Amino acid sequence: MSDNKAKGKSASSSARTVHDASLVRMVDIHKWFGKVCALRNIDFHVNHAEIVGLVGDNGAGKSTLIKILSGFYTADRGEIYYEGKKVDIANPKVAKQLGIETVYQEQALAPHVSIARNVFMGRELTKILGFMDRGRMDEESMGAITKLGLRIKDPEAMVEALSGGQRQGVAIARVLHFKAKLVVLDEPTIALSVKESQQVLDFVQQLKAEGISVIFITHNIFHVFQAAERFFILSHGEALTDVRKEDTDIDHLIDLIVSGRTEMK
Amino acid sequence: MGKETELKKKVLFRFFSYPVSFTIIVFVILLIVFGIFTVNRSFFKYENLTAMGRLAPDLGIVALGVGTLMIAGEFDLSVASTIPVSSFVFTKLLGWGAPLIVMLFVTLFTGLLIGFFNGFLVVRTKLPSFIVTLGTMLFWRGLVYAASRMMPIGIRAWLEQGSWIEQLFIGKIGGVFPVQTLWFFFFAIFLGMLVHFHRFGNWIFVTGDNEVAARAMGINTAMVKVVCYMIVGVLCSFMGMIQNLRIESFAANQGVGYELKAIASAVVGGTSLMGGIGSIPGIFLGTLTIQIIENGLILMGAPAFGISAFIGAAIILFAVLNVSISRVTGR
Repeated sequence: MSDNKAKGKSASSSARTVHDASLVRMVDIHKWFGKVCALRNIDFHVNHAEIVGLVGDNGAGKSTLIKILSGFYTADRGEIYYEGKKVDIANPKVAKQLGIETVYQEQALAPHVSIARNVFMGRELTKILGFMDRGRMDEESMGAITKLGLRIKDPEAMVEALSGGQRQGVAIARVLHFKAKLVVLDEPTIALSVKESQQVLDFVQQLKAEGISVIFITHNIFHVFQAAERFFILSHGEALTDVRKEDTDIDHLIDLIVSGRTEMK
Repeated sequence: MGKETELKKKVLFRFFSYPVSFTIIVFVILLIVFGIFTVNRSFFKYENLTAMGRLAPDLGIVALGVGTLMIAGEFDLSVASTIPVSSFVFTKLLGWGAPLIVMLFVTLFTGLLIGFFNGFLVVRTKLPSFIVTLGTMLFWRGLVYAASRMMPIGIRAWLEQGSWIEQLFIGKIGGVFPVQTLWFFFFAIFLGMLVHFHRFGNWIFVTGDNEVAARAMGINTAMVKVVCYMIVGVLCSFMGMIQNLRIESFAANQGVGYELKAIASAVVGGTSLMGGIGSIPGIFLGTLTIQIIENGLILMGAPAFGISAFIGAAIILFAVLNVSISRVTGR
């Protein structure tokens, strides 16, 4: 990792090619809240169509890192490269324009509004004078939902009538439809039944199949282990380890998170 | 056979899943009951219907605005004062000899401004709108009482009979049909289009339903709310003028009680007090339902001063119905 950093700083042409390999690369990220250092020297990257599990205990800095990536915070130090180019993600709008979308549990949908209207919330398809093209909204939202492997009959049904897993599916279908390249799922399986969680994990695989990268944040190590190909573990604002699935197992991961130390290094 | 009942069930389920369905049913039942049981069937007499046509749009126009705002998740109690303030401004301008067209627009602008002020206070302070608009209601009412010394001001001295502004607001088409009713229909259709078919309508619903999500999707929820308050303000001014012209004066007690009656209309029409649920057809029927209950009961000989007891019972009944409908249908 320190190797990467050196390359990032030299900004040579060889560093460029390294950046090009990944969809997004955060280099030497620091974030302070007052005197508290929330993130220190974080190097984090996500490859194209890769599922990365971002894990760590409460207060490890997971959400801070993601909020920097999605434009809610700005880093005090460090750089972000997106598709090889240096970017300044000053606000959430910039992140959305780049194709970085965050899906928050329960914060994504309006329960008493139809599925189609939820999918197009804030980005309604219109005909003239701002009047909605409801036919196309119904059609395209169902298209995105079907693509995700979710079976819903009626785009006019209220979101309230859906199960937790289906709701998560609608929220993910929305980012799929709007051509996200990187989807951040913040605790997507929290408060879901076993069956519904499985459904969400299937959605994640479907996103990968569509060529979309996923950052999967969760406390549930079993879910993330099943879904992700690589795990990035934070502890007290520092990167503990970055390990591929084939180089680890679930007990090892739990051990790392609980102890906050890596004996491997 | 089984398929048929299945289909019937589905159609029924669909019907009842719309919040407006129960309002329609109750509305029709009331029409039948009052049609049969009022003395001499006076409910459907020409005189009663035209009287209703003149009076019902007063509350109706205000309720349409208040209901729309409630879908966005906010209340406006200050309608009770926006009405007399507008009426006062209108009367004063008339007294100063302003051209009618100027009067019209200045009065509407007054409502727009009061609405903007309400909305601005609500989104800036982030306080419950119930409290904020209670404050503005008392504030404006105090001002209008002080300015008018609570005396009515007649308009006949300044306005000749049958001027175009009277024709526009309170005229009778073909000498029978009250123009106010047309305005009421017009606003219902206009708001119906806006709320149910326009992009902005979707923003209204999601703002009331899940403001966090709406904001996360880039909707300016503060702007949505302020615009809704401005719609309420303009409708109050419009109605203030209609009422002023009909009673041929400014009266300090104009608008008293409208704040709660408007909310009641919206609730009877299936609008949620929590925001995010409601419909313009529902609010339209809701306000008519409240008003025909009032009218019908009086015609049936119920004591006029006790009518509010029935209205109160009706409101609670509808609120309970709405909750149980949403529980049954999952909507």
